[in-house]
Amino acid sequence: MTSPGDGTPVKPPPSFSPGVARNASKSRYPDESEATASLDAELADAHTGSSPTSPLPTATAELPIRSSSPQSRSGRSSTPQLARSSIGSPFDGRSDGSEDIRSLIIRAFSPTVAIYASEDTDALVRNKGFKGGFWDLVRPFGETIPGKVVIRDSIGSSRAWEDYGVRFVNIKGLGAANAARDSPLAQMEEVLEKQLDSGEDTLGGPISGKDVLGIPATTPLSKLFLRQLLSSTPATPHETFGHPVASVIAISSRNTAPLETLRQLYAESSTGEKRLPDWIQQDYLRYYVLIHDEERDDIAESTKLYDQMKRHFGLHCHLLRLRSSQCVVTDDDSIQVPPCEWLSPREHLSGVGEAETLVDLGTDGTPYLFDSDATAIKTFIRELMVQSVIPFMENRVAVWNDQVASRRRGISGRLAAVSRRWPFGSSSRSGIGSSGGNSGNYDTTQNFYAPESPEATLRKMADFAFMLRDWKLAASTYDMIRSDFGNDKAWKYHAGAHEMCAVSMLLNPLAMSAKIKLESVDQMFETACYSYLTRCSDAPHALRSLTLAVELLKSRGGSATETAARWAMRVMDFGLVESIGQILFMERVAACYASKTPVTGAKWGARRRKAGMWSILAADQWLKAGKPSLASACLEEAERLYADVLEADGAFPMPEMQTFVDNLRHAVKVEYLEARGFDARDESPIEDPIGTEEISEKLDKRSHRRSLIGLPAQLDAGNLKLSPGPGTLEEAPNDDFERA
Amino acid sequence: MSYYFTILSPTDTPIFNIAFGTSKGGGDGIARFRFPDTAQYMNQFIIHSSLDILEEAQWTNGGMYLKHIDTYPPASAYISAFLTPSGARFLLLHQPPQLPSSGSSSALGASSLLGSSGSTTRASSSSVAANPTSPQTEEAVRQFMSEVYESFVKTAMSPFYKQGMEIRSPVFRSKITAAGKKWL
Repeated sequence: MTSPGDGTPVKPPPSFSPGVARNASKSRYPDESEATASLDAELADAHTGSSPTSPLPTATAELPIRSSSPQSRSGRSSTPQLARSSIGSPFDGRSDGSEDIRSLIIRAFSPTVAIYASEDTDALVRNKGFKGGFWDLVRPFGETIPGKVVIRDSIGSSRAWEDYGVRFVNIKGLGAANAARDSPLAQMEEVLEKQLDSGEDTLGGPISGKDVLGIPATTPLSKLFLRQLLSSTPATPHETFGHPVASVIAISSRNTAPLETLRQLYAESSTGEKRLPDWIQQDYLRYYVLIHDEERDDIAESTKLYDQMKRHFGLHCHLLRLRSSQCVVTDDDSIQVPPCEWLSPREHLSGVGEAETLVDLGTDGTPYLFDSDATAIKTFIRELMVQSVIPFMENRVAVWNDQVASRRRGISGRLAAVSRRWPFGSSSRSGIGSSGGNSGNYDTTQNFYAPESPEATLRKMADFAFMLRDWKLAASTYDMIRSDFGNDKAWKYHAGAHEMCAVSMLLNPLAMSAKIKLESVDQMFETACYSYLTRCSDAPHALRSLTLAVELLKSRGGSATETAARWAMRVMDFGLVESIGQILFMERVAACYASKTPVTGAKWGARRRKAGMWSILAADQWLKAGKPSLASACLEEAERLYADVLEADGAFPMPEMQTFVDNLRHAVKVEYLEARGFDARDESPIEDPIGTEEISEKLDKRSHRRSLIGLPAQLDAGNLKLSPGPGTLEEAPNDDFERA
Repeated sequence: MSYYFTILSPTDTPIFNIAFGTSKGGGDGIARFRFPDTAQYMNQFIIHSSLDILEEAQWTNGGMYLKHIDTYPPASAYISAFLTPSGARFLLLHQPPQLPSSGSSSALGASSLLGSSGSTTRASSSSVAANPTSPQTEEAVRQFMSEVYESFVKTAMSPFYKQGMEIRSPVFRSKITAAGKKWL
């Protein structure tokens, strides 16, 4: 029972905007199509000059369904910013859009490396204009390691990754991060608002997607939201992503007693006052860095010292040669320091790495570096990761897998797990060894496992495997331990293991073709979310797991997209996000439904109407939030989505829907123009007589916005009703071809 | 429980609409949807969006009565569908009543339009209306649908009725109301 509109071979685009519907593929080049449209408009001018009288008969002939007349159509579906409506086929953009999201999620779980620099090092770096010291200097460079990083997984096959990263944290902030934080969710909302306000006047809202041609899969705003969300969680006991995998201990060549300082820094970080909280495992890798001041110190001295360091501390050493003077823009080989991608909401609010503060400070705080310095830092980070940290992690995973996991996995381990659940007297304690460990490992007063306990070790191993992108091992390990946490009533651990198990199963590209797996993934998210929210009332983590569920399920495609949409609705239902977040999630629901493709060869299976509905609802909310440009973007998206399922003229069959959408369009248009400083109220509302409407429309649009010049061309096509749909479609490609 | 019943022509145009409430368990038969009065278009949006699912379900389900096919979770609206041989489709949106205790969690602007939902499925009353996905409800809706189908066929056979026309017959409307009273 398909609608008859589907039966006709071609139909004119429902919106008058050029190139929205069927001929979408050719409109991948917005400028070009706009140019042709404007040329067409000029050609059509002759017609429109006389049109106010001539089209009326045809229009009135069709009056019972007013919407089918081209004039009223133009009044209705005109949303501002038509230049942006060039969206390619929704399917070709989707894949790289979701790849992007996947990569973002993967990179969010990068290994953490703590930085502990001596006073003289920080002083040297502060001289260069980095107020935060050495950490501040290296942090932006760690986010992408140049070149490929090869990682071997547990079964010995290696894979190269282009987008590997590392997250540097300041060791001073590591322990304290847990205490001093007010709700990160409220902060996130604030960041979004700020971003909206600042992005409003640039390119008509951040949604505009200036980089890639209209990929509907994601918007910059929701990407920002995701990044914020993933970087907002500080180090916690129940997961080890925030725990340092290694720590860099840095001194500079200015130091008078270098080796003693290094020893002292080491001692402070392992036993002294800088000691990390008890729930962090203490035997992480130490890496020693000597920073050589190129301008003031002698390289021969430094090399000698470096050799000494290597003798004392082994191979995990590096000599970093930096210039100590500050670099300014005007210097010959100055390059700009890349902006930090992973700023937590708090840092965003305090203005770290924000462009505006840099402008305010002029040259004072501008992060510029000498090219040689940047190269040196990149080399240092690459060496740190490729030669020390990653082998260390691989080694750890192998050892733990061998010593802890395999014992737990073996028959005796399983027996132990069973016997723990149903204790048969004292016999359960025998023959288990270190792997057995019963529920006594969980410290119920402080709510964490001792880092040496097998549970914590397994969790750490799984996290390591996850960070090394060995999702298969990670998933199986999480799967192994998740019930243990439940038995111990360690609910946060329980939730975390379920969450990460589901996430790693979804990230693993090979596994999970069967539908059954999808259901178990769903169940795991459900459990995680319940444990986080109800048992621990930890809203940020619950939001994180649900958002990951939405994004990853969406990127799976197929029937998983519907599950994704359901999770997104759950997020809204739980009230985890505030007003802007709500709207963002409405957009996500729309995107999820939109990414469901029809069954091959059949007309059914897509979710265009649902996607369209959610886009319209989002548009309504954006308008209420006072963001007409975003609303119009959503509206346009909705038009595009509805194009395939509605009748040829883009009219809704249901009267109340139609009225609502008409009113919404009008309101968006009025507000949009008002926001741009035009008085749009003289523009006649839709209910006005057709003739006057058309005239005012034409004058208004053409005098103000180039983007709407495509309008008369469509009118023209409508006027020549003798050759309806096919005519317009044939015309357009021809024009394109000639001008190409 | 509130109901919104629509008959769609094969071209997706609504040819008959009625909103009514439950008459069981002391109900007064008046629809009380969760949307504010200004947002009644939401019913049509939800019905329209469920056509996506309907188009899929009609090829995968053998019967004329497709049972519960779709849900709109934010307002906990449930859609049941029935197919006729002529291509017309009956869609029934049913929405359990809002519990007075719910809605406390979502005092946000955005959710007012979506309609706040609570844990309504666990309502204490054991009436048909309480659980929209229970077999009893499915059965009641089936009875309702087949009774409507009977009336629809009679109306459609009227010599003054052309296919795809809006049904304005007051007799038909009263029959639907009666069926709704009887079964839902």
